[in-house]
Amino acid sequence: MKKGEIFSALVLFLFGAATVILSSKMEIGTFRKAGTGMFPFFLGILLMVLSGSLLLKIFFKNKKAPNDDESEIEAPEAKKQLVLFLCALVLTALFFDKLGYPLTSFLLMLSLLRILGIKQWGINILISAVAAAGSYFLFVQVLNIPMPKGWIGI
Amino acid sequence: MGGWMFESLQHLINGFAVAGTIQNLSYCLLGAFVGTVIGVLPGIGPIAGIALLIPATYGLNATSAIIMLSGIYYGAMYGGSTTSILLNVPGETASVITCIDGYRMAQKGRAGQALAICAIGSFIAGTIAIFGLVFLAPPLADAALAFGPPEFFSLMVLGFIVLSNVTGKSLLKSLMMAVFGLIIGTIGLDPVAGDARFTYGSVSLLSGIEFVAVAIGLFGIGEILTNVSQPSELLDQKVIKPRLRELYPSLQDLKKSIGAIIRGTGIGFGVGLVPGPAPVIATYASYMTERKISKHPEEFGKGAIEGVAGPESANNAACQAAFIPLFVLGIPFAPPTAILLGALLIHGVSPGPLMIGQHPELFWGVVASMYIGNLILLVLNLPLVPLFANILRIPKRILLPLVILFCITGMFTVNNSIFDIWMILLFGVLGFLMRKWAYEGAPLLLALVLGPKLETAFRQSLMISRGDFGVFINRPISMVFLLATVIFLVFPIFKALFKKIRQGQISGA
Repeated sequence: MKKGEIFSALVLFLFGAATVILSSKMEIGTFRKAGTGMFPFFLGILLMVLSGSLLLKIFFKNKKAPNDDESEIEAPEAKKQLVLFLCALVLTALFFDKLGYPLTSFLLMLSLLRILGIKQWGINILISAVAAAGSYFLFVQVLNIPMPKGWIGI
Repeated sequence: MGGWMFESLQHLINGFAVAGTIQNLSYCLLGAFVGTVIGVLPGIGPIAGIALLIPATYGLNATSAIIMLSGIYYGAMYGGSTTSILLNVPGETASVITCIDGYRMAQKGRAGQALAICAIGSFIAGTIAIFGLVFLAPPLADAALAFGPPEFFSLMVLGFIVLSNVTGKSLLKSLMMAVFGLIIGTIGLDPVAGDARFTYGSVSLLSGIEFVAVAIGLFGIGEILTNVSQPSELLDQKVIKPRLRELYPSLQDLKKSIGAIIRGTGIGFGVGLVPGPAPVIATYASYMTERKISKHPEEFGKGAIEGVAGPESANNAACQAAFIPLFVLGIPFAPPTAILLGALLIHGVSPGPLMIGQHPELFWGVVASMYIGNLILLVLNLPLVPLFANILRIPKRILLPLVILFCITGMFTVNNSIFDIWMILLFGVLGFLMRKWAYEGAPLLLALVLGPKLETAFRQSLMISRGDFGVFINRPISMVFLLATVIFLVFPIFKALFKKIRQGQISGA
């Protein structure tokens, strides 16, 4: 928890700094006639101040109670599950256009159900097919929303 | 004095005529039903739910769209209570309190009565609250006409500080999320001058970060990823099955609850008008009140029906009261109303003090449909409770992938853009990390939606005053808001200091 806090505060601090640098390249203008860059410029400074304060707060809390160890009990299988889950989602985004909606949704359901522990392929394929067909029917046929067709052409 | 009241009642009757058309009735019904299902489903709550269904309203006119989306809003609240009672899992943050006594009642075999009193309490609260709206909205709108850019700016700042104070454990972290949200809100076109900012040639970024993507990502995908990261034993849950004939509270139950309901309505309505996550505060305040004034405080925590009736009524009253700042000021104070604001803007309606006068059929139509929605929830959803209970019994392993599919599909329908899907994945991961490291998503979302307004108000104020920052302090209303902001900022520091002094005294002595 603490490593995460420090990391996040640092990232936000750097994000604020980046905002300041990038917005200073835009027209800041004066207070009388604010330019495009003024608002993000001050927001960036504010974010740096806030995240800096958080870092200081963590630092001082750490000094007072260095034995305060909040180690996380994370099951490694759960972590693996999460990573696989994310990979499936990323692959879906990558191939959404190319494979077309019905096929992608079928494959997505198939992989997610498997990752979450549905081991019997029969049930898996059945649920995935019903879900993919159902949502295709609902969105493309009933609601008339255009979905990617992919090289299959559906 | 009665002049505008009579006019308001007239408008309300017209509103019922608008809301009562077969078309709008069906949208209300659809919204309430879908909302309840969403509230019942794990991994998706009212925020992501409303956001997902905005594209479904593209073909509708503004009034019908908001009627349906509002239906989803309180439908989801009702669905959230259902999971609290049957599963001891809050469907969304405002139902946490309902878990306490509601689940106990369910364990004692009184699930039906608990669910019934939720619906009845919400209905009564809604009926009373609607009169509050009728009488308060027009004069508040008139008062808000005196608001200029400095007042709007100060009020929004106050809203952010209150929201950050009340949400989550760390004011500092919530403020950081708010500023982060404001910064990413600047991506796209400058609201005042129209220049492109931080887009670096990307066409997708020209229209800014889609708030629907952030909502679905943070609150939908993020929630699911958190679910997935937990060990698999937690994925399966035990559901209590309510018996249909139990869905009627006894006269004694009603007698016990009516006081709690009335009190809850009052508390909820008052809290709903104030910036902040009103439903959550309202339920908490109502529960504490009921416990304090009860003649049998020991019953609380063991299945006291007042502990369910009061908070649920407060919740509903707060949700309705939250529509007042949304429509009258155009400033939402909590994420669900922020999403509704986004939806209104998409439909070309800009809420604000003039809106009630210029688009009375929209405001009063929505107000009337809120009442109808409450009625629908009472009459229709209660018998459907076994259906919802069965939805809950579908294993999470199957439900979660379905919800993901729904999220990705729904997101795509907004802009037909793969870029948005990448956005929900990105914000999904962000939402997961935020939950892990205790950062709150509500300030971020609110900041994203309000950012352009805040900036416009800021720059306009300075233009009016020709660069003089005193404009925020010299105007009395604005100064009041800023003073309140300072108090809310300084209060936690004093509280912490006070606690340390007291601890020092105890351990020192």
